[in-house]
Amino acid sequence: MSEEKKLRKKDLRSILWRSFALQGAFNYERMQNLGFCYTMIPAIKRLYDKEEEQSLALKRHLEIFNTTPVAVPTIAGISAAMEEQNANHQDFDTSSINAVKTALMGPLAGIGDSLFWGTLRIIAAGIGISFATQGNLIGPLLFLLLYNVPNLLVRIYGLKFGYSVGVNSLERIQKEGLMDKIMSIATTVGLVVVGAMVATMLKVSTPLKFNVNGAKVVIQDILNQILPNLLPLVLTLVIFWMIRKKFSISKLTIAIIFFGIIVHWAGIL
Amino acid sequence: MLTQALLLGLIAGIGILDGRIFGVLMLERPLVLGALVGLVLGDFKTGIIIGAQLELIWMGIAGIGSSTPPDVVTGGVLGTAFAILSGKGPEVALALAVPIAVLAQSLGVLVRVINTYFIHKADKYAKKADFKKVTLMMWIPVVLFFLSVFVPTFLAILLGADKVTTLINAVPKVILDGLTIAGNLLPAIGFALLMDMLFSKKMSVFFFIGFLAASYLKIDVMAIALMGVCIAIILNFFVNNEGNQLSKKGNDADSLTEGEINFE
Repeated sequence: MSEEKKLRKKDLRSILWRSFALQGAFNYERMQNLGFCYTMIPAIKRLYDKEEEQSLALKRHLEIFNTTPVAVPTIAGISAAMEEQNANHQDFDTSSINAVKTALMGPLAGIGDSLFWGTLRIIAAGIGISFATQGNLIGPLLFLLLYNVPNLLVRIYGLKFGYSVGVNSLERIQKEGLMDKIMSIATTVGLVVVGAMVATMLKVSTPLKFNVNGAKVVIQDILNQILPNLLPLVLTLVIFWMIRKKFSISKLTIAIIFFGIIVHWAGIL
Repeated sequence: MLTQALLLGLIAGIGILDGRIFGVLMLERPLVLGALVGLVLGDFKTGIIIGAQLELIWMGIAGIGSSTPPDVVTGGVLGTAFAILSGKGPEVALALAVPIAVLAQSLGVLVRVINTYFIHKADKYAKKADFKKVTLMMWIPVVLFFLSVFVPTFLAILLGADKVTTLINAVPKVILDGLTIAGNLLPAIGFALLMDMLFSKKMSVFFFIGFLAASYLKIDVMAIALMGVCIAIILNFFVNNEGNQLSKKGNDADSLTEGEINFE
């Protein structure tokens, strides 16, 4: 065998940049496959000289792929480390590359979606919106900053980590239970923030008033004495229940628009 | 109007490409696009306010997995633009944005179907190890995605702005006010969708902690988020018992599988 094949820093940087374009050719048949293949091209070019080997590697990464975008540099790093081994060792089991990719994309998608979509984005948006409702430019800026600093850090260090430590690293983390703790923290904070947003960002109150023997009874005042923001809470819980009952979101949206117009016309809200 | 239509089309294009080739930096969200639309139309402040309102409504909508959610990019840009152009408030934005997003979604679906053709082409070029052609197959769909929002936005502003404005002005006041009410109600869907993602019986107490802290103590969201982090860290790192693997047990049942949420 000739000299050992090794990826350069330049290649990894190129993989990082390309990983942003993951969903450029998203399709229903194999989802992010072409985007992932595109991400891996710098590694394939560096590691394989023969057309036949290059072709096999390209086809390998054109298989179905779908995960949460932020996790892709990590998976690409691990795949690149495995391709490197494959290029240097005749007896490397090539099929293990896709086996590992497939094994990673499910769990990482779950973790990434809950951490980034489900939690970080909500916290960032909640804080951003609280400024933006007053027309303050800090709102959108803070939103982007709060989301993207962790987003970019996970991408950069995920790639480094995936490439240098390889397949075993993720198993180790899983065993130590660190990921579970991070997930648990994220879910907790996410729920606390959603609760706070229901109280501060849903403006629902009733103008209903009655005259009982000359005494004015203002319904909203009574509701406030029971629990401030009771109406927003009830509304959210009812819709939550309907979503769990598999009501369609689009139909719910349209129904609420009509509901809003009707109850306003009737003087209830 | 031509320049504005072009710029707004471009904003929508950047928005849609965010999820395609910019690694989902959140540029696609109404909170960001609303500000940009406001900037182009010379009413920055209103743009930001409308963006915040639409963000609240659509916060729960996410393109997770293989599904195609309502197109918040085209909906957000056009809704915000028409609201500013007609001089009416956020209620007009949401009345227009919601249906537009649902309509525009079908174009996104179409592109994803067409892309399959380029995937098969890429297979062929991969056989010959033709890196350049494989890369090209990757970038043609990107152009299609861009056009799928640029063209509708551009045309709607160029041809439709006057008509939509006239239409909006013809709507009676009681309906517009009702829309404001509806707009106040709609974020509940977003919150409920988020809860659907995070909520399990065991974890529900944290939702109420947040709600009560904001309701009774009037603490703002930023402060509540930070205190939430502290509570979560205490529970996970200092309180040591088996029952604390909350997320493990809790999330398995409620994990984010896209198929469970029905967007249609």
